[in-house]
Amino acid sequence: MAEKSEVKQGTLALMILKTLQILGPLHGYGVARRIEETSKNRLTLNYGTLYPALLKLEQEGFVTAEWRQSENNRRAKYYSLTAAGRKQLARETREWHQTADLIAAFLAPRREA
Amino acid sequence: MKHIRAAVARVAGFFSRGGADDDLRDELQSHVEMETAENIRRGMHPDAARRQALLVSGGLTQAAEAVRDQRGLPWIESVAADIKYAVRALRRSPAFTTVVVITLALGIGANTAIFSVVRGVLLKPLPHREGDRLLYLRHSIDGPGGANILFSVPEVGDFRAGAKSLGGIAEYCPFSFTLQGKDDAIRVDAGLVTGNFFEVMGLSPVLGRLTRPSDDGTGVPPVMVLTHEFWMKRFGGDSSIVGTQVRLDGKSVTVIGVVQPAPWFPDRVDALLNMVISPHHLSALMIQSRAHRMTEVIARLAPGASLAQARIEIATVYARLQREFKGAYDPGSHYRVSVIPFNEVLGERARLTLWLLMGAAAFVLIISAANVVNLTVMRGIRRQHELVVRAALGAGVGRLRRLLLVENLVLTLIGAIAGVVVAIGGERLLISLAERYSPRANEIRLDAAVLGFALVLSVVLGLLMSFVSPLPKEGTFATWISAGGHRVSGSLRKQRLQRGLVVAQVAASVVLLAGAGLLTRTVIQLSGVNTGLATGDVLTMQVPLFSPGNMGAAADADSKDRYDRMRREMRALPGVIEVGVGSTMPLRGTQVGLDVKAEGKSFAVGEAIPRADLRTASPEYFRAAGIPLLKGRWFTSTDRDSSGKVVIINQTFADKFFPNEDPLGQRMAWTGDVLRFTPFSGDWRTIVGVVGNTRDGGLDAPLHAVVFMPFAQELAFAGGMVIRSDGNASALAAAATRIARRIAPTAPIENVLTVAQIKDQSVAPRRLNAELVSSFGILAVIIAAVGIAGVLAFSVSARTNEIGIRMALGADAGRVQRMILKEGGVLLGVGLALGVAGSYFATRAMHELLFGVAPHDPFTLIGVTVMMAAIGIVACWIPARRAARIDPAITMRSQ
Repeated sequence: MAEKSEVKQGTLALMILKTLQILGPLHGYGVARRIEETSKNRLTLNYGTLYPALLKLEQEGFVTAEWRQSENNRRAKYYSLTAAGRKQLARETREWHQTADLIAAFLAPRREA
Repeated sequence: MKHIRAAVARVAGFFSRGGADDDLRDELQSHVEMETAENIRRGMHPDAARRQALLVSGGLTQAAEAVRDQRGLPWIESVAADIKYAVRALRRSPAFTTVVVITLALGIGANTAIFSVVRGVLLKPLPHREGDRLLYLRHSIDGPGGANILFSVPEVGDFRAGAKSLGGIAEYCPFSFTLQGKDDAIRVDAGLVTGNFFEVMGLSPVLGRLTRPSDDGTGVPPVMVLTHEFWMKRFGGDSSIVGTQVRLDGKSVTVIGVVQPAPWFPDRVDALLNMVISPHHLSALMIQSRAHRMTEVIARLAPGASLAQARIEIATVYARLQREFKGAYDPGSHYRVSVIPFNEVLGERARLTLWLLMGAAAFVLIISAANVVNLTVMRGIRRQHELVVRAALGAGVGRLRRLLLVENLVLTLIGAIAGVVVAIGGERLLISLAERYSPRANEIRLDAAVLGFALVLSVVLGLLMSFVSPLPKEGTFATWISAGGHRVSGSLRKQRLQRGLVVAQVAASVVLLAGAGLLTRTVIQLSGVNTGLATGDVLTMQVPLFSPGNMGAAADADSKDRYDRMRREMRALPGVIEVGVGSTMPLRGTQVGLDVKAEGKSFAVGEAIPRADLRTASPEYFRAAGIPLLKGRWFTSTDRDSSGKVVIINQTFADKFFPNEDPLGQRMAWTGDVLRFTPFSGDWRTIVGVVGNTRDGGLDAPLHAVVFMPFAQELAFAGGMVIRSDGNASALAAAATRIARRIAPTAPIENVLTVAQIKDQSVAPRRLNAELVSSFGILAVIIAAVGIAGVLAFSVSARTNEIGIRMALGADAGRVQRMILKEGGVLLGVGLALGVAGSYFATRAMHELLFGVAPHDPFTLIGVTVMMAAIGIVACWIPARRAARIDPAITMRSQ
């Protein structure tokens, strides 16, 4: 089993936004499950990390929240992406790719000239 | 953008916690339920499924806490908790809190009060429009009375034509009138001004209008602008006064307006008028004579011009005038002009005194801050146990630091509030002090800037206290905990800080005491100055009957007759020994000084032309005042208009002109260009008597040459009564004033004072200085003594164990006592040495405030050092005694 790790600072917001983009409006539990599944259970998310992050996104205006009935007839708070959130997701995705490329290039073994 | 939105949301969250908490609980609850359902679906037992769900999610309470931190402003919430805690902690140690608050209140209070004066008098921008561009021109020559000889109208005209860097030059001539009221007459100190005066000064009316250029010259009606202060005082702020007529020296003058409150210089004035009221000020004499100097000059820098430019231009013009008009500028007198920013000249008399007091207050603050820091360090060490417990329960170093910071800030803020109360209490006294030195005393306020000053002081002190409190570095709590909190207490580093602070306190106290000592000696020296007058109880009263608009021979004869009647009636009052009439009251400065010459005496070229004060006196004046006759005779009733002109001179005059010969029978005369503008003749006058010198115009003023002329032989240009009694002179005041009021109903009666009171007027400001600095000094010594005793006591209690062991090993009580005394004695000695060195520099700065004592007066320094040493030793004695009484058996057992 792969080593479980905490979510890296700064990446959680991006994961949440991407999850909401793909799956549409979703409750906190669903977001957590989706992130854990996508990471093939290499990541664990506890409430203390997830809910403050959701609240922060809500405060920043990237997501909105409302209480709805879930598929199993439970009441749950559903988060959905706003227009600003979509833009933010695009921007962060782009930045993330750039960073990843940069780091990859940086870490690639240099050939001796 | 996202930050703003987030911030708004957080602030909103801070204020609406209740509903959001329920919402969060529901949300977390639903999460747990979904997780549980999922677990059940996977085949777990419901109970196990729920437990697993809770476990995985990392604890509900912690999650809720984390969300709450994100939602609101946790920082503020926890600071509020810190404040609540701090208040509770401070209430638990009332002795510490009380001592710190009182110490801070005194330190901050003294500084706040004095800062309010410094700000009001020196720092605050002038109320004048662009007041920083106002300039004052001062004309000076060497010799007594030469510090400010004013300008003549032609000189002002030349400056106007030649100094283009000055945008406007206004003229101001000091003048005084008698204002006739319904049932009294008062003297009005006024300025005759050119029409551009208010424009140059940058002042606006609060009522009516101000004078303008169309009010200049002859053929216009006389108009008067009231100063705000006089308007309030005399007319009760009645706005209907504008447009009415008042009677000044018997002339009708229209009040045209009231000017905004402003400081007046060189003298406080009640009103400003156009020149037309005084025919003299528009006469050819005034306008054309270069040596007829009666005009103050205030100028405004032209836009873009600098002070340096103005100075150069004025100097250039003035140098040319001195070349062109040699007769008006006697080279021996060193004529010179200085251009001084107006705000500087307003503060010039106050500056030194105020900075002295500010310095003294700062020293008090340093000493109190040192004490408070010491107390905090000691308390901090005693609290280590508590802090260790807090750390063990999970408080980080940052959190503990913040806790201390909040606690200290609460303390210093309470101290600042108490200090402001102290400052309010001292404000009246300080304003009365400032009034003696500055025309801006009425601008002293405890305003926002001053309160801000107190706040900044308290915050800085709070930070300082928190910074010195002992806290371990992150990760070293284990050492603390294992030490149990107590062992760390005697840490050498902290003791070194505490000792350094004690040394600083002692040193600062010595400097303050040295200053206080010098000022006190100054007062003693000044009070001890021989006035030159015979002792006795003498009442004086100024009753000027003369007015420029009333100068005829008949009027003068009438005045003299009234003075004579006053003299006779006052002489008949019970207890009166003698009554004299004279132009100038004893110990007062003389208004008129003129160039003089003596028959057959010439002075070398380049030497300043001698000047003498001109006074008139009746034959009885000298005996009433107590001025001793050294040679010759008094005036007699036969020294009348018809007889030969005679004078009595004082010792200084005799020494100057007749150093090696008998002055009696010699002749002197008034001379110089200015004489033409006075009602006095340049006739030769025979010297018939020589009287002793008196200290006129202040006990520290230089001696002037004085010439007395018979009151009956000259114009009664000023006048007052000198009444010698055989007992209580001040009791005569009411009866004498009634007589004067009846005989001279239209004359203002001023300065009804005993000679002792006049003498005191020249000592009083310095006495107030000395008292203020002395009280600061005493305060400092008390605080410093408490500081030494406190630190030693602390050291003893920290070393109880060690002392116990020493005693168990054979040290006797005396030896232990000596050990502690020595510990304190070293601190005291170092502090004294530094203090004496510091005094050497500090007192040099105040030499201008001293009289009759050198800044490095050894008696003062030795006295102060001995006094501080004595107090310090007593302060060491108490903890040393306590150390000596330690019972080794008890201390050893307590471990």
